[in-house]
Amino acid sequence: HDLAAKKLDLDVWKSVMRSSQPQEDKEEDDDSNDIDDDEEEECSTLESSRELVEMWRLAGKLVPEQISEEDLQALTALSTKSSKKKFLKRLALKEHHKKVDKEKKERKRAQKEAERQRNAEGEEEGADRPLRNTFLMHFWTRSMDALHNWRAAQSMCFGQPLVFDMSYEQNMSKPEMTSAVSQLLESEGWNRRSADPFHLHFCNLKPDGIYHQELLKRYGRDTWDRLLITTTEQHYMDLFPKNQVVYLTADSRNVLRTFDHDKVYIVGAMVDKSIQTGLSLANAKRLQLVTARLPLDNFLHWDMGSKNLTLDQMMRILLTLKEGGNWEQALEFVPKRKHDGFFKAPQLRKQT
Amino acid sequence: RYAAHKKKAAQKDSRRNERQPFSRSVFAAGTASRTAEFMRRKSGEDMVDQPVATSKGPSHAEVPDCPLTVTEWASLKQNSLRPHQFEVQMMKRMVAARSSIDIAKSLLTYVAVETGTLNYELLLKYLTLCVHGNYYSEVFDLYEIMKSHFKTLDPGAYSLFIKVFSTTDRWRESFTMLESLSKTMTPSPRNYGDVIAGALQHGDSTTAWALYDRLLEQGLSPNQDTWQALFKSSCSEHSHNERLRDILLFMRDNQLYPGEPLAQCISSWFESLPADNWTGSWTTAGPSGTCQCCGAALESIRLSEEEYGLLKDRVMRDVIMGRDVFTKTTPQELDRFRKFVESVPAFDVVLDGLNVANTFGKGKQSETLLAVATELEKQGLNILVLGRSHMRRHSHSWDRDHMTRVQQVAHCFFTDDISEDDPFLLYAALHSGNHCMFVSRDLMRDHKACLADGTTRCLFFKWQRGHQLVVHGYAPGRRIRFQRIQSYDTILQTDGASWHIPYDPQGQDRCSYEVPTTWLCLRRAGRPT
Repeated sequence: HDLAAKKLDLDVWKSVMRSSQPQEDKEEDDDSNDIDDDEEEECSTLESSRELVEMWRLAGKLVPEQISEEDLQALTALSTKSSKKKFLKRLALKEHHKKVDKEKKERKRAQKEAERQRNAEGEEEGADRPLRNTFLMHFWTRSMDALHNWRAAQSMCFGQPLVFDMSYEQNMSKPEMTSAVSQLLESEGWNRRSADPFHLHFCNLKPDGIYHQELLKRYGRDTWDRLLITTTEQHYMDLFPKNQVVYLTADSRNVLRTFDHDKVYIVGAMVDKSIQTGLSLANAKRLQLVTARLPLDNFLHWDMGSKNLTLDQMMRILLTLKEGGNWEQALEFVPKRKHDGFFKAPQLRKQT
Repeated sequence: RYAAHKKKAAQKDSRRNERQPFSRSVFAAGTASRTAEFMRRKSGEDMVDQPVATSKGPSHAEVPDCPLTVTEWASLKQNSLRPHQFEVQMMKRMVAARSSIDIAKSLLTYVAVETGTLNYELLLKYLTLCVHGNYYSEVFDLYEIMKSHFKTLDPGAYSLFIKVFSTTDRWRESFTMLESLSKTMTPSPRNYGDVIAGALQHGDSTTAWALYDRLLEQGLSPNQDTWQALFKSSCSEHSHNERLRDILLFMRDNQLYPGEPLAQCISSWFESLPADNWTGSWTTAGPSGTCQCCGAALESIRLSEEEYGLLKDRVMRDVIMGRDVFTKTTPQELDRFRKFVESVPAFDVVLDGLNVANTFGKGKQSETLLAVATELEKQGLNILVLGRSHMRRHSHSWDRDHMTRVQQVAHCFFTDDISEDDPFLLYAALHSGNHCMFVSRDLMRDHKACLADGTTRCLFFKWQRGHQLVVHGYAPGRRIRFQRIQSYDTILQTDGASWHIPYDPQGQDRCSYEVPTTWLCLRRAGRPT
């Protein structure tokens, strides 16, 4: 009879659900009848997209909790289910990171507040502490910035040029573009902080192109105008003699053996997630330029991953070489996950 | 009759395979998997595919094997490692283990009693469990409950409901579900297939065909199950015969092959046609390209003049030039190549120098190349060897004497070391005309992918199957042999009086670049020929 009793219990959840009120009320705003058909249709597709996101969230899928009108439109424009899922996942992760950052900031602020209070209490006790005798005034960040800017200005007069070829706008998707701009910012930062910076050139930068717009957005108009680098619409071939130029690309057949202080190295400012092999090599071939790749295979037990490095990694490798570092030191900046360490004795095979 | 024939065919097949592991064409179904197996055994690895571990990490809390009371569930939850996700995780494990729904119900009861409501995710998982176990009345109850609690459902829930509703008396409701689903996204071919099958099952073929049209309009490729349902339902009712023929032609145009169950449905549909008296038999194709069953000649693998010209243009435009000529070559080189091709008479065979030379690990690369070239020259063929410039430089693996002799027996064209040689090979072979073969072990899949549209890719594949020679095994000093090229095209075909349909036998997996070797032969019987 124990079993029978249990059997009776089994459908209790149905009666509970039936008796409970629905969680959401039916649509409350039906007063928007005065809009015309086209608009209404658009509204309804947007609305159904919003509902889709909501239902996916309830079903435990990775979707953002809040979605902006702009993102919703982008979502509606996507045609396949997988692209929608991917897009929502990206938004959800972004939202999550933002939330975590915010929480962290809040925690820090609370901590600081508590510390300040403690200090204030301490101050009241020993009210008149004598001033300390110091050799230097407080060294502010802006003093450091001034120093960096002096160096950058010097490099603009006498420094070795390093060119970022910005002609790959059309070959990148939007996420790729965003990460390319991030990498450029990072590279410029590393260059500025080095002891002997390169004279950076952003060549083929179309005014009001996507690259220009994104860079302006990230730097801000003022900082962008005061940046101590050369940005130009001109082609690098118009700025430098052909025999000085070396195009760095992972697809090249030639290995860069030594860093030459008289050459102008060119790095393609492109993030290539869709594996468009040979794109930059094709450009170099067209102009009949000397090309070279980093000697990754000569120094590293390559494990996995693409041999295309990020722009900031390239920058740090080149900076190290420029400052007289050897290849081992320079290739420290290759991500560790991509290789199993250095060869014991570097094998520089004879390369033509 | 069918089973006996199949068994005999299979025996013959296996005997032939034991004798010569690679005698069949590289494009015949099953060759890739057999080659992989052979290589594995050769390398001495007894690699049995390890079953993939199903459970992630140590399983916390097993699924109980009988319904639990509320208090029992409460204590189980308390002892679990992650109490905040306990219910959904438990339900997921029940779905994986295909537990009885009574256990799931007891879990739902526990949650409902504790919290007064059930969340969507939990209900969705429960729905999955019910659908897998075919508990229809439970699914109906769930539908009412979910409808009343939530404004809409997610695509996953819709798909599950469509699947169940279409097979029951409430099949008409699956149409509305399909409508709601298509508001947010394109329904999958499976969704359409379920609704179509439901409509057919309940005798509404007009709706089914209308939905089938919509499926095609949206650019989706129907499932084999959907076709199977359409053929099956038409066995008794013959109002849509023309449309079924269209399906067959759709398969032909898209180079699709039915699986064995679908082939059986097609066969029985033909046999059920009144008046015509069709008979279907399961067969293979003879080496000379005739059907083993009826002796009719199968369609030739040769391309028509028009197709050939189209393919040639496309290979030049999409594969060699692409978006940027500099990616694969340079305009100067392309010019040099064009002049070269026009200056010499048409070739009979084009060799992919590097690929042929690297076919066998033993011996010098140049030696292998020379052996293959000499063998072809003995057959009195006009040969072109395509290679890269570095092959001309004397080195350990590229002997200058060998290369000089290669140049004596064949025309040679060397591309820059930095260029790709395969596109030139394809163009040279196409340029020489329909009789020209090419020798390479490369399956040219990356070049096929460069072609812009599906039709041209099918055309390329057809040409490739008819013109690619693969060296069949070579040891220094022995005679070179090539794998046989099939003279017939493996594609669904008809000549009005008969149909020949290649199909995939059950239990055989076929790579994307392979074609089936088994055929369904349908012909009108009972008439003097």
